[in-house]
Amino acid sequence: MIRIKDLGFSYGDYVVLKNITMNLEEGHIYGLLGENGVGKTTLLTLLCGLKKVKEGSIETDGENPFDRRPSFLSDQYYLSDEVAPMNMKAVEYARYYGKFWDGFDMEEFIEIMKELDTDPEQKMTRMSFGQLKKTYISFALACRTKYLFMDEPTNGLDIPSKAQFRKAVTKHTREDSVIVISTHQVRDLENIIDPIIILDRQDVLLNASMEEISEQLIFDYSNERQEDALYCEMIPGGNIQVLRNLSGEESKVNLEALFNTVHQNKEIIKEIFNK
Amino acid sequence: MKANDIFNFRRFGKYFASDLRTCWVNYGLSLLTISTIFPIGTYFLTNTFNLVLNSTWDGPDIGLRSFIFIVATICMVVTMPVKCYGKITEKQYGSFFLTLPASRLEKFVSMFLMTCIIAPVLGFALHLGTDAIICALDHTCGRNLVTGAMELIRNMGEMKELTLNFVDESITIENAALAQDLIRQISSPWLYADEIFGITLPFLLGALYFKRGKTVKTILAIFAFSMATSIIMTPYMETWAAEMVSNANADTNTILQMFNNGIFKNLVLIDTISDTVVNLALMAGIWFRIKTLKH
Repeated sequence: MIRIKDLGFSYGDYVVLKNITMNLEEGHIYGLLGENGVGKTTLLTLLCGLKKVKEGSIETDGENPFDRRPSFLSDQYYLSDEVAPMNMKAVEYARYYGKFWDGFDMEEFIEIMKELDTDPEQKMTRMSFGQLKKTYISFALACRTKYLFMDEPTNGLDIPSKAQFRKAVTKHTREDSVIVISTHQVRDLENIIDPIIILDRQDVLLNASMEEISEQLIFDYSNERQEDALYCEMIPGGNIQVLRNLSGEESKVNLEALFNTVHQNKEIIKEIFNK
Repeated sequence: MKANDIFNFRRFGKYFASDLRTCWVNYGLSLLTISTIFPIGTYFLTNTFNLVLNSTWDGPDIGLRSFIFIVATICMVVTMPVKCYGKITEKQYGSFFLTLPASRLEKFVSMFLMTCIIAPVLGFALHLGTDAIICALDHTCGRNLVTGAMELIRNMGEMKELTLNFVDESITIENAALAQDLIRQISSPWLYADEIFGITLPFLLGALYFKRGKTVKTILAIFAFSMATSIIMTPYMETWAAEMVSNANADTNTILQMFNNGIFKNLVLIDTISDTVVNLALMAGIWFRIKTLKH
């Protein structure tokens, strides 16, 4: 379990994160959403120990990630948004580096590579950015770590690959793992992330499970425009509207509409979910 | 912290193997080029000049080849850390390096072994091997560097005598200082290693600290450090310098007496200690950088 308490972080005078408090529990795939520059990558790098916490604390199973102890590192994997090729075949890379992670499974790596339509025998320096990203995604999943942090993993992936990625994440992760995936392309992670964390500048606007979201909000696709809608957007064939759920009806959460609703109604959303 | 989290031989073995491979991929070709092009190039250039200017086929002598060996060694130790570890300051490679499950000590030891021992030893072997082949094929080059060095070691005692005789014969402050330096180098093989570390470690530290212009910035930093050290040390050296100046025209016995007393008597020890302290400080800097590096 990851406990984040009163976390603050700034680059010089520019404050990125302020007073962030939340717990990330086992068995969930957290979606970390937010506009560019709100601190998604900063939060991920703090969680995996690439940056040192300046204010507050982060504890992962009671450990400070910045200590970067091997026993701790072997149970986490961080997939950066920027990936660079190594001068070797993907399968060699996996063979060389996989042995550092106790749970790494070579067969699973090959299987995921095949599921993502990438050749493990191909040299990484000859791969396109998307193929390279898929190689690192396969490696990250094959490490079978308890903590998995992925920063914009779907960037650079084509449309079929995004679907394959969602499938692979669902299929190849441990039940007790804590997975945090950051993105600003919310549609890419639809159906796999739960709970949703929406970051704003220096603030967490929303940290709620899909169940809690659908308990509190209704996503309405009717043509009739509702006066009390928190958010309304015209889509082909009608509207998508987000309203407060006062009747207890169930509806499918639309992540993009949710994201826009949260950004347009920051205080109302905080009031609804912090009740 | 558990001992296993500080250093584990099995994990270190795995890490070192991967480090070795990465370094070979990133630097192997450069190492081969530096170690072989320098002796081969010197051989062909010397012969070409001799043919053109003197109309003789005469290979480079051991003195020139020793000088080229030193130049090649400097080129190698200056470029190697940047090629092997310079990318650690870049986000993509650095993030992976920092989150790779090995301890800081294991990463540091591997880096030290690669930069200060494996690469120089391999570079020396390749250079000396190439030199031996050239000398075997063309006898105008004379003895190869290995044979020359072996002979020097065999005659170490004789060399000392020779140097001291040289001091007695034409004693001046400069000659005496030169003689001291020769004796120091011959009598303390550790100083050779110490000096290789002394060249390599600043460049490794520079590769880890500077994000761009690593080699140039390291050279400038060394220059600045040397200037600062000179300024700080000036008051302490004044007495010594005054003694040197006042004895510049002294007779042989006075100069020899001077070199057998005070700071001169323990010159080897002082030099070894100061070099070792600087190298330990550089190693501490490297370890601290690995510990505190962020991305």
